[in-house]
Amino acid sequence: MKKEIIEQLKNIVGKQHVLDKYEDLICYTYDASSITVGKNEVPALVVFPADANEISQILRLANVEKFPVIPRGAGTNVTGGTISRADCVVMIMSRMNRILNIDQGNMIAELEPGVVTADFQTEVEKLGLFYPPDPASKGYSSMGGNVAECAGGPRGAKYGVTRDYVLGLEVVLPTGEIIKTGARTMKSVAGYDMTRLITGSEGTLAVITKIIVKLLPLPEAKKTMLVIFDDLNKACETVSKVFLSGIIPTTLELLDNIFINCIEDYAHVGLPKDAEAVLLIEVDGDKDILDKQVNIITEICKKQGATSVKVAKDAAESEQLWVARRSSFASVSMIAPTIVGEDATVPRDKIPQAVADVRAIAKKYNIKIAVQGHAGDGNLHATILADERDKELMERVELAAGEIFKSTLALGGTLTGEHGIGRVKARYLVLEIGEDGLKLMKAIKKTFDPNNILNPGQFLGE
Amino acid sequence: MKWEEMERDVIRCTKCGSCQAVCPIFKELQSESSVARGKVSLMKAVLKGNVEPTAEFIEKMALCLNCKACTVNCPSKTPVDHLVLQTREKLVGEHGLPLVKRLVLRMALKHRKLFDMGMNMGSVFQGLVLKEVKGKGVLPRLPMGLKQKRLLAPVASQSFKSRYPERVEVEKPRETVVFFTGCTINYMFPEIGVAVVEVLKKNNINVIIPGNQHCCGTPAYANGDVTTAIELARATVDALSIPGTDAVITACGSCGSAIRKEYQDLLKNQPGYPEKVEALAKKTVDFTEYLVKIGIKVSDLKPINRVVTYHESCHLTRGQGVKTEPRQVMTSIPGVTLKEMKEPGRCCGMAGSFSLSHYELARKINQHKIDDIISTGADTLITGCGSCIMHIRDGIYQNGLKIEVLHTAELLAEAYK
Repeated sequence: MKKEIIEQLKNIVGKQHVLDKYEDLICYTYDASSITVGKNEVPALVVFPADANEISQILRLANVEKFPVIPRGAGTNVTGGTISRADCVVMIMSRMNRILNIDQGNMIAELEPGVVTADFQTEVEKLGLFYPPDPASKGYSSMGGNVAECAGGPRGAKYGVTRDYVLGLEVVLPTGEIIKTGARTMKSVAGYDMTRLITGSEGTLAVITKIIVKLLPLPEAKKTMLVIFDDLNKACETVSKVFLSGIIPTTLELLDNIFINCIEDYAHVGLPKDAEAVLLIEVDGDKDILDKQVNIITEICKKQGATSVKVAKDAAESEQLWVARRSSFASVSMIAPTIVGEDATVPRDKIPQAVADVRAIAKKYNIKIAVQGHAGDGNLHATILADERDKELMERVELAAGEIFKSTLALGGTLTGEHGIGRVKARYLVLEIGEDGLKLMKAIKKTFDPNNILNPGQFLGE
Repeated sequence: MKWEEMERDVIRCTKCGSCQAVCPIFKELQSESSVARGKVSLMKAVLKGNVEPTAEFIEKMALCLNCKACTVNCPSKTPVDHLVLQTREKLVGEHGLPLVKRLVLRMALKHRKLFDMGMNMGSVFQGLVLKEVKGKGVLPRLPMGLKQKRLLAPVASQSFKSRYPERVEVEKPRETVVFFTGCTINYMFPEIGVAVVEVLKKNNINVIIPGNQHCCGTPAYANGDVTTAIELARATVDALSIPGTDAVITACGSCGSAIRKEYQDLLKNQPGYPEKVEALAKKTVDFTEYLVKIGIKVSDLKPINRVVTYHESCHLTRGQGVKTEPRQVMTSIPGVTLKEMKEPGRCCGMAGSFSLSHYELARKINQHKIDDIISTGADTLITGCGSCIMHIRDGIYQNGLKIEVLHTAELLAEAYK
């Protein structure tokens, strides 16, 4: 990048808000995905803009000088959506981190993209309000990133995902215009739903500078239970039966036999190692109703042949039950240095078949794949135990992942429930949406970003 | 050790970014290279030949408080704390130590008598360069590498060890313990050491204060000078391994953490030492842990009217896992009310020589601690580490506040008076 352009960028955001040393820049060649690009793709500059106006100036300059701009929140996405490329500018949103207002009367809030999700949740909960989306990264990922990736989380079974809460946005278009989408209302059908289009667009259509979200009343209490099955099918059928009984649990987390073994070896929480499935079920709501719900679920589980049903008596016991689920990642990472996590999602009743397919693929390629998932919404996390130092193994992992995607689509599922496509799954996207679907998406991108400035080379390819 | 040998630990990091939630330096700088994920990625880049160990790289590796928050919080259990120290060790091996650090670590720290003499002379001559702020500490008169506005603890006119015989005996002793003083207590805050001994005496415990004990080696280890650290660690193990004693007591988070945890790694290739280290680690406890274990004599504690809040020193809470015992002994004093701050486990920003080399940043990190302390409304801050005390006192002074900063032992000693 020309020295004059770098000077201009420094003038826009202020010299103290840029990084230009090589040792700093190389730290933007990765995010939480498995990709790290080489030293040829180190950014030219990293900038920390203060507001939409500065972002607009940067993007206008980018269109004149034709350099790519990569917006980045906390860099916690897992599909390579915020990785630098040669001669680009990485734009970090962390300075824009104010909660602008929490409107109790209308139960909405307006905030900037750099606010950390869990911090926002803490603030609204102080007022008896609730922002449900809970990606595993909520303690350090930012709201802007959550919207750009349409983040999900365990609570999705009952509460849906990020897009279900975004009412409106202020964004800077790739050509520099600042626009507003949606409204501060629960209903709005004025023209195309640009809010939904931008939510989950992985930073390719616009830079998010303000977010309006709707909030719910904070549930009074919750109850947790841990159910063990000797048969995966029985566990999955139980999930459908629970929903049919009229109860929608907050979370319905599934752990397969491989996870059960890894977790037991690692954390000694008392899971039977021959169990085929563990369901961690949580319900929330009015205190008086919860016991009734737990009783109904317990009945269903027993009828379905559960070998054990444990109900937590209080918060401390509930925490105990969560230990198994929380230590799942650490438990597999103790036996394999590299963990490749997929998030193919299938209709709920296809989970047993999807898990059987994953096992067959693991066997075929002689690799170890553990499965956990948000069983309530069919979102499976096939977790491949790998070692990035072993090139030959990594090739088999890649082939296995490709087959998992294909089998998921054959079951009527989707390549990704909540992680996004990014760079990692770009070449598989066409399998799901078809050539015509891809063509339309490329045309949309072209309309927003004629010079292909904003986060190029993501799911639409080069 | 070669760079390659770090690889297995380096690739444990999945780059998930969860360290961003807890790293005190990242919270201030917001740059990826300042957080654990970035540092580990830089190490990986060195392994791959994409980054040279440049001066800038050395500075990035210096920007770590070794507060262990990232390590404890890491979902894939990447030992970032050790990786940073190993990297510093390699950098010292390849590039050497800066002159000032070389003088302090290699000359003074290594040689106990020279260090003693230097510290004693220091206490006499410090008036020339340090200006007293009554009852609070000292401020540098000249820049001399220190920020002139920074409140430091003066070198005590009489070191702790010179105030007691090597054996302090009581009538009808319940047990006999060895007290490891550490440098901060011995030279800067002898009153903490006095409090420890007096409290132990009240609990009918014989105290041995070995005269040949010296620095535990943490400052050398933290700065990558492993050669010096090993020498100091061996000397400490030898001085403290006294047959017929029931426990070894520390009253400093970092010293205790070194003896109980770091020595295992540091002395693993020293013939004869792994067994000694294991035995010593088993015997070593924090002062408050010991009091809880033996059952603190509550009947003699007189009421004190204080509202206290407690700061968890990094190396006491995450290094040694001691969290409940300090609170237990504090609240056993009648009249003491404990008001918890929001983030008691957040690093105060001291980190030994870090706060000297990066004072402005160390102050910013400390300000969060001060704000948290203020929000409790407490009149006294209690902690279990001398270094934290020095840095938090500076923060209290810079904010013009009147909050007392005491060691847990001092609070107990006050109640036993």
